[in-house]
Amino acid sequence: MSGLSISKLHATHGHTAVLRDLELTVANGALACVLGPSGCGKSTLLRVIAGFHHPVSGTVTVGDRVINDDRTHIPAERRRIGYVPQDGALFPHLTVAANIGFGLPRAERRERVAEMLDLVGLNGLGDRHPHQLSGGQQQRVALARALAPRPELLLLDEPFAALDAALRTELRTEVAATLRRAGATAILVTHDVDEALAFADVIAVMRDGQIVQADAPHTLYHQPADVGVARTLGETNLLPAELADDHAITAFGNLPLTADVPTGDGVVLLRPHQLRLAAASGPHTVEAQVVACAFRGHDYRIELATDTRHDLPERLITYADTAPPEAGTVHLQAHGPAHPIPDAEPAAPAHARLTAQTATA
Amino acid sequence: MSVVALRSAKRSAAVLAAIAASTSVLTGCGSSQATGNSSSASGGSIKGQSITLYSGQHAQTVDALVKDFQSRTGVKVNVRSGDEAELANQLLTEGSASPADVFLAENPPALTTLEQKGLLTKANASTLAAVPSGDSSPKGDWVGVSAREAAFVYNTGKLQAGQTPTSVKDLASSAWKGKLGIAPSETDFAPIVTRVIKAEGEGAAKAWLEGLKANSKVYGSNEDLVAAVNRGEVEGGVIDHYYWYRLRDEQGASGVHSALGYFKQGDPGSLVDVSGAGILSSSKHQAAAQALLAYLTSKPAQQIIANSHSYEYPLAAGVQNTKVDRPLKDVGAVVPASDLGDGKQALQLLQSVGLLS
Amino acid sequence: MSTLRPLVRPSLPPVLRWRAGRALPLVAGLVALVVACPLVFIGLQAGRSGWDSAGRLLERPLVGTLLWHTVSLTAAVTAAALVLGFTAAYLVERTDLPGRRAWTVALAMPLAVPEFVHGYCWVSLIPSVQGYWGAVLVMTSSLYPLVFLPVAATLRHSDAAAEEVARSLGHGRLATLWRVTLPQTRPALAGGALLVSLYLLGEYGAFAMLRFTTFATAIYTEYETAFDTESASILTLVLVALALLVVSLDARAARRGRVVREGTTARPCAPQPLGRWKAPAVAGLAGVVGTTLGVPVYALVYWTMRGNSSTLPSTSILSATAATLGYALGAAAIATAAAVPVALYAWRRATRLARAVERAVYLTRALPGIAVALAVVFFAIRYAQPVYQQPPLLVAGYAMLFFPLALTAVRASLAHVPHGVEDAARSLGVRPLAVLARVTLPLILPGLGAAFAMVALTASTELTATLLLRPTGTETLATQFWIYTTDLAWGAAAPYAAVMTALSIPAVVLLTRRTLGTPRPSKGMR
Repeated sequence: MSGLSISKLHATHGHTAVLRDLELTVANGALACVLGPSGCGKSTLLRVIAGFHHPVSGTVTVGDRVINDDRTHIPAERRRIGYVPQDGALFPHLTVAANIGFGLPRAERRERVAEMLDLVGLNGLGDRHPHQLSGGQQQRVALARALAPRPELLLLDEPFAALDAALRTELRTEVAATLRRAGATAILVTHDVDEALAFADVIAVMRDGQIVQADAPHTLYHQPADVGVARTLGETNLLPAELADDHAITAFGNLPLTADVPTGDGVVLLRPHQLRLAAASGPHTVEAQVVACAFRGHDYRIELATDTRHDLPERLITYADTAPPEAGTVHLQAHGPAHPIPDAEPAAPAHARLTAQTATA
Repeated sequence: MSVVALRSAKRSAAVLAAIAASTSVLTGCGSSQATGNSSSASGGSIKGQSITLYSGQHAQTVDALVKDFQSRTGVKVNVRSGDEAELANQLLTEGSASPADVFLAENPPALTTLEQKGLLTKANASTLAAVPSGDSSPKGDWVGVSAREAAFVYNTGKLQAGQTPTSVKDLASSAWKGKLGIAPSETDFAPIVTRVIKAEGEGAAKAWLEGLKANSKVYGSNEDLVAAVNRGEVEGGVIDHYYWYRLRDEQGASGVHSALGYFKQGDPGSLVDVSGAGILSSSKHQAAAQALLAYLTSKPAQQIIANSHSYEYPLAAGVQNTKVDRPLKDVGAVVPASDLGDGKQALQLLQSVGLLS
Repeated sequence: MSTLRPLVRPSLPPVLRWRAGRALPLVAGLVALVVACPLVFIGLQAGRSGWDSAGRLLERPLVGTLLWHTVSLTAAVTAAALVLGFTAAYLVERTDLPGRRAWTVALAMPLAVPEFVHGYCWVSLIPSVQGYWGAVLVMTSSLYPLVFLPVAATLRHSDAAAEEVARSLGHGRLATLWRVTLPQTRPALAGGALLVSLYLLGEYGAFAMLRFTTFATAIYTEYETAFDTESASILTLVLVALALLVVSLDARAARRGRVVREGTTARPCAPQPLGRWKAPAVAGLAGVVGTTLGVPVYALVYWTMRGNSSTLPSTSILSATAATLGYALGAAAIATAAAVPVALYAWRRATRLARAVERAVYLTRALPGIAVALAVVFFAIRYAQPVYQQPPLLVAGYAMLFFPLALTAVRASLAHVPHGVEDAARSLGVRPLAVLARVTLPLILPGLGAAFAMVALTASTELTATLLLRPTGTETLATQFWIYTTDLAWGAAAPYAAVMTALSIPAVVLLTRRTLGTPRPSKGMR
């Protein structure tokens, strides 16, 4: 398996630009995830990499092999890139074994098919037809089929979307383990954050045909490049702050920053679990009213309203292990470093500023 | 596609009675006559050559004629038997690249159309001389081979022999209302219209056609018409005589409930249709083609026509069809085929009264 | 794993790779071009005639009448075929009608009856069957299977869930039928209606027999009575315009009709009990089958009885049968093979161009047979002289004439192919042609069978083009039948009609099987 590198990629559907100046690098052996809302171009990106969609310009390299640039367009069948579409797209007229062996030379078929059936845990089902399998089994066959010819890169286009929640969780864990076992470099496309966080070594957040940020899940969650990324990864509390080099002065007092920034007014991000309910009022607590509270099993999600004089957003969100007093007044304090959100993000400046402003209004 | 789309119409035109003497008796080889336009033919002998005949004529008769011709001359004839109208359209579309050497038609309009487009070449003078001059093209591009006569077929259960009309013009009278059948889409109907136009003028012809239309049930083909008369669906209708003879053959004596009557001499309805043949100017076997034409008008060929089950009249002098009750000479003097032209005027009139679309 | 040798086969040399990748649009375009030849021919011929003569032709009051005849007849027959086809399909696929399998074959069987046999026997049995209503009756009873088969196929393969949900929402059986079942079959209805109406536009023979004049009548008059190709072509252009209208109506219906999606669990519906309607339903279907099959049987007997005194040379019925089979099967194979790239192209690329190419091809179906045949003559004699009046030309002519039938069948079966499978196959290192052979073609095999059967069926009874294009001296069953009937030798003709009908029966059975199939297991995988 080899890494993937994409630069300056442009692609269109007819006259509509779908991918614009897209850059992405995935290290050898990594499980990457392209995360974005429907229609952001992530499936097109996958189809460009697979060789089904001709980009307008740009370079796509797998390992040291250029598979796409201004002069080269290697056809899909010679890319050695595996592909698992959303519905599996198993060949309905072939058995499970024939599906898995489809891309293999005849001589190696029997042995490799047995190996793959073993890998995906479908021993003994080789003679079945796809319609005789459950949805999860079908997706496993699709995965085995894609892995069988030992592709250099594996592409998965929302492969778990059609499955129910429990099966989805189970299968994605299983698939991630299988891929790691196989040492595969893989790219998963999804709009499901949980799936991305659970699956990937690296997540690339995609918006309007561009990769806005690509990082390890933890980094992405805590240090998003802009408001959009922050919101894509989870719930946010965006506070107005006065930035001073390595710390921010907020309604919750001085908070350390994740990175040094120039002095001035700005916005910082605190994730819900960075806000905690304090036992009593203190110098750096903020008084808030509980607006809503939902028990989620592992914690409570609490929506809070603060006094307007703090210049805080209308709603703050926190997750707590214990239930807050019912409809009562609580005191909030902030923990850990705050992440400064650059005000003028080149990717979507208007959008970012707008949301930042409404958040601070 | 249905059979009726390919109406087998034995289309017609008028000719003079066949009285002219055929001076040319075809010899074994026939090359003596095949001199006219033969340029590309193989010098002296045509034996061993192969020519293609597009035939819209009665298949059995043509088959017999071709066999005889082949044994006499050694020229192989490939017969493409089909619907006359389709073959004519095919020849028009093929143009100078046509593989056909000779076209044997059922009616003059097809030949006249080809002649006007310059696709035919002149028949040898001796061939033209073998049949009455009025039975061939005045320009000599095609020659008459056989003929049949327009007649009034009537159902014997509904009409007596004496009750048949003496003039085709009478058929427009209201006395015939609901009793007639016509097949106006058959091209042998148009010559009658042409004759009426010539005799009475276009206005009167139009009025006559409208009367006829009001009296008649319209059939798609002469075969349908003669069968309808025979089973009594209508009392009578105008057809060429041989449809009735062929119906008689098919039905057997017990199944025949109809008979033929004829219009009086000189009436527009009293006319004779010729079937003619012409040589394609694009033919690369002019000598062999001329030999075939010469053969078709020769006594042996005419005798085959006279004896055949197509029930047509031979045109060469001295040959009689004994199977048909009425000799051709009884028709009397009629206008020559050439006078009928291409029939376009009649067609337009038929279209304008709505008998043709 | 990265240390292991990748398991891929050696790749092709660059030239072949290029061809494989780019060939489809090229081949599809080429096929469309060849099939559109008759349209080009009509255009060329019409162009040779001046505006004056065009005006003279089109300004006749008769033209208005004929247009009205054509349009009103097409509308009435199409509507009647839709009602009859849908009702019959619903009865055999969705109810507890006894003997449903037998009914299915019997209802498709009118396709086996050569159309001129249909027309003739009606006229000879009941002479009063003529004019507008006669034409509606005869044409509906011979064309409704074109609606029945695709609708039955859709009903058989669609999921029961939607209908069950409708019932659970409080809709009665009739309301469910009207609001759920019927809309589900809309693409099939639209496809059937397209074929039926295009057929009616160009039909001449049956109407001549039924003494009903349409626009095609006027065209034949120009061709066969006036020998005027230019005028005929001008009139034909009007037919083409009507066909364009029909095709665009179909396109609209199909766009709105993407409602059926065969679910993961395409469960067949439990048959609806007919209850007290069982007897009337059986009686109704028996009436339809009796009318459409009883009449031709009557005709064959009638002809045989009518006398057998023909003295015409009898071309061996065996050689005519062999010729008919050879040409029909050859044409079926070529038309089916040619339909695959066009259908594939339109299916893979849902672009406007691809759809336009696909639809243009349908226009030829509305052209009178003689126009198509003359077009083949026109182009062959100029650009393919060596095959002129040779067997390949007749096969090509048939293939052009009946290409739309093949295309419809292939298109319908492609609609069932899950979209991602070709991509998935290529990503496994399999070349496009191999993907075609190993995945796509096996999946559309039933459609190919249906296309093959349909073309073979129609070509084996074709007459107009056969007369024009066959090799000199060759007789098919249809030409021989025609030769006899034109000489009133009904008795001699009857065996040829009988053999034609007999030959058609296996084709209809194959067509029925391939179109309907069984509720295929493979449908489950989406």
